[in-house]
Amino acid sequence: MPMKGRFPIRRTLEYLQKGDLIFKNRVKIMTVNYNTSGELSEGARKFVFFNIPQIQYNNPWVQVVMFKNMTPSSFLKFYLDGGEQVLVDVEGKDHQLITQHVKKILCKSEEVLHVEALAKMQESNPANFGPKKYCLKECICEVEGQVPCPGTTPLPKEFTGKYRTQMAAAQE
Amino acid sequence: MFIAQGISTMSAKQASVHAKWIIGRVIGTKMLKTAKVRVTRLVLDPYLLKYYNKRKTYFAHDAIQQCTMGDVVLLKALPEPRSKHVKHELVEIVYKVGRVVDPFTGLKVEGTQFLEPFADLADDLDKKMSLSDKIPEVDSSASSSTASSLEPRTP
Repeated sequence: MPMKGRFPIRRTLEYLQKGDLIFKNRVKIMTVNYNTSGELSEGARKFVFFNIPQIQYNNPWVQVVMFKNMTPSSFLKFYLDGGEQVLVDVEGKDHQLITQHVKKILCKSEEVLHVEALAKMQESNPANFGPKKYCLKECICEVEGQVPCPGTTPLPKEFTGKYRTQMAAAQE
Repeated sequence: MFIAQGISTMSAKQASVHAKWIIGRVIGTKMLKTAKVRVTRLVLDPYLLKYYNKRKTYFAHDAIQQCTMGDVVLLKALPEPRSKHVKHELVEIVYKVGRVVDPFTGLKVEGTQFLEPFADLADDLDKKMSLSDKIPEVDSSASSSTASSLEPRTP
């Protein structure tokens, strides 16, 4: 079954995850003002069409609001924590230029992203066992190839503690 | 039995709600000093994988009752809920309905049209007239082309 609509690739998880605009923690709201007609707004319209889903997917806690045909100029406005506002003129710019500019001014840099990814990996260390909230597995019996949980299948006689003590007592 | 009591450390006052800063449109002003604000957030449909606007109404404290229906406002979370429903306060009106101001020129704007003329347009016209007086040999076609380029852009 083919995908429906114009550019249905925008509606794939792979496309959404590929977005590289990850805002800094200070950015809370993103507002896009653009016009539905006119050449100057073309870049902004493409930005909204292609890049906004990626941005919202990668920044689930940022509120993204779109305003159409409110002013003749098209712009982006970011509202940061602490009341600061950032105004970005977008008139006549290509959507890729816009993404590059926004990435330069308001997104986490590559190094910061690397550090965060490393920290996440350390948290999910497969060598640690414990509650589901902090570790991947709760007991080694859940790992494939290990002795299964005695709660589900009884252990062979030789593995049980009481058999071993019996054998040890018989030997002495 | 020793029961350990965890004390939450608050370096700065924590707001009572998850949403600290939100933008929305005013949909009701009938309450005293309170504005009813509708906030839209983009939510992903899990099957279509497309984003749709999901609405939520918030109540915001507006001490001077300066909001009218249809304003776009910026709200900030209060450190403590003011009442059962009011947990935010109005910071500023971003776009006043009917009086939207273009952020670059500072002129009043309606849709895609400017309501006020550009401030420097009259000066430019005067300058051009003085130039044509000084240089009478200038081609009429050249002056007309320069005049058309200085018209306010209308998409």
